[in-house]
Amino acid sequence: MTSIQPGPESGSTPPLRPARPAPKSVQPSWAGALRQELFASRTDGLVSVLLIMVILAAAVGLLRWALGQAQWAVIQANTTLFAIGRYPIQQQWRLWLLVVLVAALSGVSWGLLRAFPRADRSGEIWPFNDRLAVALLGFLAAWLPAALALGLPLQLRWWVITALLVATRWLAGHWGRSWPPRLVKLVPMSWPLLYLFGMVLIAGGLGLPRVPPSEWGGLLLTLLMASFAILLSFPIGVVVALGRRSSLPLLRWASVLYIEFIRGAPLITLLFLGQNILGYMLPGGWAPDRVWRAAWVLTFFCGAYLAEAVRAGLSAVPPGQLEAARSLGLSMPQALQRVVLPQALRIALPGAVGQFISLLQDTTLLSLIGLLDLLGTARTVMANPEFLGKNAEVYLTLAVLFWCCCAALGLGSRALERRLDPTHSPA
Amino acid sequence: MPSTQPMIEARGVQKWYPNGFHALRGVDLSVSKGEVVVIMGPSGSGKSTFIRTFNALEEFQEGSISVDGIALSNDLRNIDAIRCDTGMVFQQFNLFPHLTVLENLSLAPVVVRKRRRSEVEAQAMALLERVGIAEQARKYPGQLSGGQQQRVAIARSLCMEPRILLFDEPTSALDPEMVGEVLEVMRKLAADGMTMVVVTHEMGFAREVAHRVVLMSEGQIVEEAPPETFFTNPQHERSRQFLAQIL
Ligand SMILES: Nc1ncnc2c1ncn2[C@@H]1O[C@H](COP(=O)(O)OP(=O)(O)OP(=O)(O)O)[C@@H](O)[C@H]1O
Ligand SMILES: [Mg+2]
Repeated sequence: MTSIQPGPESGSTPPLRPARPAPKSVQPSWAGALRQELFASRTDGLVSVLLIMVILAAAVGLLRWALGQAQWAVIQANTTLFAIGRYPIQQQWRLWLLVVLVAALSGVSWGLLRAFPRADRSGEIWPFNDRLAVALLGFLAAWLPAALALGLPLQLRWWVITALLVATRWLAGHWGRSWPPRLVKLVPMSWPLLYLFGMVLIAGGLGLPRVPPSEWGGLLLTLLMASFAILLSFPIGVVVALGRRSSLPLLRWASVLYIEFIRGAPLITLLFLGQNILGYMLPGGWAPDRVWRAAWVLTFFCGAYLAEAVRAGLSAVPPGQLEAARSLGLSMPQALQRVVLPQALRIALPGAVGQFISLLQDTTLLSLIGLLDLLGTARTVMANPEFLGKNAEVYLTLAVLFWCCCAALGLGSRALERRLDPTHSPA
Repeated sequence: MPSTQPMIEARGVQKWYPNGFHALRGVDLSVSKGEVVVIMGPSGSGKSTFIRTFNALEEFQEGSISVDGIALSNDLRNIDAIRCDTGMVFQQFNLFPHLTVLENLSLAPVVVRKRRRSEVEAQAMALLERVGIAEQARKYPGQLSGGQQQRVAIARSLCMEPRILLFDEPTSALDPEMVGEVLEVMRKLAADGMTMVVVTHEMGFAREVAHRVVLMSEGQIVEEAPPETFFTNPQHERSRQFLAQIL
């Protein structure tokens, strides 16, 4: 913007040019863009060619092994074990019900996010990324159950669940705007309810027979531990971060003590410590067995790191924000809740998600205290004489599973960040 | 014309910052209903500190302040009542960046006064109309120019229907071409009879709009006069020095 408009007093004002839409940026062709990226100069080209050759060689080797030599029977024979551990067969319908509910609610939430774009943006109902995601889901539903050699009834179930997800996504996306506002408001609130209900479905209670935590395992246990720790560590992190900046000395010291205690010890030590002393520290019934003790340790561990992320966010919010809120008459809790925390948490989000991702990976430490999480399950499978020497297949599967979960977390947080970013240009 | 009913009464206000700095050294000021008082003074003379004591953003140690008949004390209920009655406009706008313009305006009336959102939004739109930016209602503050942001900030204060407006250098952070649009809004408010205390160095505004100009220096008020006398015939040496600097 360098054009200088003459002031009104200058004699002959040239007519102002009318506004016009921004020119479409010239999209270079794929090949052109690639050539520019990879072969900008001779050395660039040389490095690119070398790297491409190395990557290709590695990929070809891996593919040849994966498709030829690898014996995936070790995975195919143990899918249930990897997925849910030794969860009793007669009770597995509860987990299926949970998956169905999660799929439906995910579809509805996803669709509503598109049906209600931000006030300042015009959103498409089916942006390119969403179409890509649906295509990927369809491919996975078609390929994965077959590749895992699941029986036809099981394959059918996964097809139905995927179809349900896509259908609810479609319905909410197209009709969400005409739903009653009350119903729409209910959707975000139903997530915590679903979480609680899911806990009941998994653990039993409310008339359902109990399934003790010692029978949970595999991906189920890993996700359960990670989500429990993530959800509960969040309020802990916020409270401790606020406490650390509080003007009450006792609160401040307690917060610092907690953070430094947790951050000063490796997680594995805390996990072992928790197995031994948590029973004395928490009221009876809160940490009845090894699994719950581990869950609490993970939660408090994550909470301390999260508190630091939130504290960074809090100090990044200019003090003028609190002053403006207070000068408008908001009380301290109101100002924190409506003005300061939303901004602080938005700033803390990338750090927090990084924390969540490492927490998800840290759940593998549970195998060291004898729990059958994904890694624990994998170790029992590999110890089985029937599958001796199949470590590569098992570890690759684990890596891909973790990679998918972490990618999902990362993608979700990036989308959330974009939606919350007040300066992001219209999408 | 201002009436004689006092809206702000400050008597012998003394303030020390926690580091021991004596920022206000016995300041007296009374502002009547409908009056526009402009506070001037060199940087660091305590202008911001002083007007921030009016809505308890700063504490003071000695003296007394009452706003619209309510004494500022440690009683939190009094402070909340005064803040609801007193709007403040900051140099840095301090709009809430995570809320749209409309949400910025309606937040306090909905949260503090517990009014219905639909009703507040109608009022907010009318206010935005009044400051000339109704068409920006659904944008975020980061998408507006400085002058537009400051006008939103003024409208945000007005949405609480305050009886007093405090301005702390409302145009100092603006590019020159945007100063006019903000002063114009302030002029209209003054003409509508709003009680205003304005810290500013805008001479034109002080000359035309202020009923009284107050000069602060080193935590004290050194001169207090109608703008005609203040600018043409200041009584004190300090005022003459100050005017010589900014003219
Ligand atoms: N939090 C604080 N702690 C200690 N001293 C402070 C603090 N805030 C301000 N001061 C000092 O108090 C004095 C008055 O500050 P104040 O901000 O009120 O000045 P001002 O007249 O508004 O100046 P300006 O025109 O630069 O805004 C200054 O000398 C400043 O250094
Ligand atoms: Mg100041």
